[in-house]
Amino acid sequence: MTPELTGIFVLIAAVTVESFAQVFLKIGAAGGAGISWRSSRPAGGGTPGISARGWVLLGMAAYLVEIALYTAALHFLDLSVAFPLGSLCFVGVAILSKLFLGETVGRIRWLGVGCILAGTVFVAL
Amino acid sequence: MKSGATKLPGAVIVGLVLAVVLDTIIQITWKVAVSGVPRDAPLAVAMVGVLSSPFFYAAMLAFGAQLWNWLRVLARADLSFAQPFTALSYITVLGLSSRWLHEHVSPAKGVGVSLILVGVFFISRTPFRTNHPDGGEPRGVDPMHP
Repeated sequence: MTPELTGIFVLIAAVTVESFAQVFLKIGAAGGAGISWRSSRPAGGGTPGISARGWVLLGMAAYLVEIALYTAALHFLDLSVAFPLGSLCFVGVAILSKLFLGETVGRIRWLGVGCILAGTVFVAL
Repeated sequence: MKSGATKLPGAVIVGLVLAVVLDTIIQITWKVAVSGVPRDAPLAVAMVGVLSSPFFYAAMLAFGAQLWNWLRVLARADLSFAQPFTALSYITVLGLSSRWLHEHVSPAKGVGVSLILVGVFFISRTPFRTNHPDGGEPRGVDPMHP
């Protein structure tokens, strides 16, 4: 495997972990409520077993993993590649917010995410 | 049926602005910390090099402040609404790089900045919070006493 390909895999892993970290922090900030697979609303009464503080700590732990992964990815990749790929986190967060938090992610919000994604590609040129 | 809150509270606006400022500080300090390590160094050596850089710890300090601020924002707004606003830090980093490091801003970068601004504008036109039928105000975590 070439260093570039290794870097891309590591970066995609970093983006995935960061997207989940954001969801964990959101659940913590909302008081522990929010997990709802493909539901249009958050689960009532919060999530059994994990407190709000626990979700925040989980989010922080995920961020530590993301820091290590992103730092490793920057070692293998040019910033011009890492930068736009890293912005895939906006897509990941939108998908996970809809799936796990029951947030409304409509067409205009997707259009905004698409513009930002395209913008980061141009900024990296 | 879900509806959404549209009038953005001042606390969310301040939080989003602070998030962009802190994100800018994180990106610049992190970039300086990583750029101090030779590209051909083994990964373990590179990691040690990054960990020995004071800029890495400056980035971590800003990261802590960002976490505190971000929890306050997320307690009040949708994640899918708030998070894209942090893309504005790409523009601030580009601006600072151009001004301080005299990096050339190409026409392509100008197009990129414009697209990011348009994207953030679109998102700012959407409801900042999804109102769930069974939900009240989120209880939230007080970042001062997590």
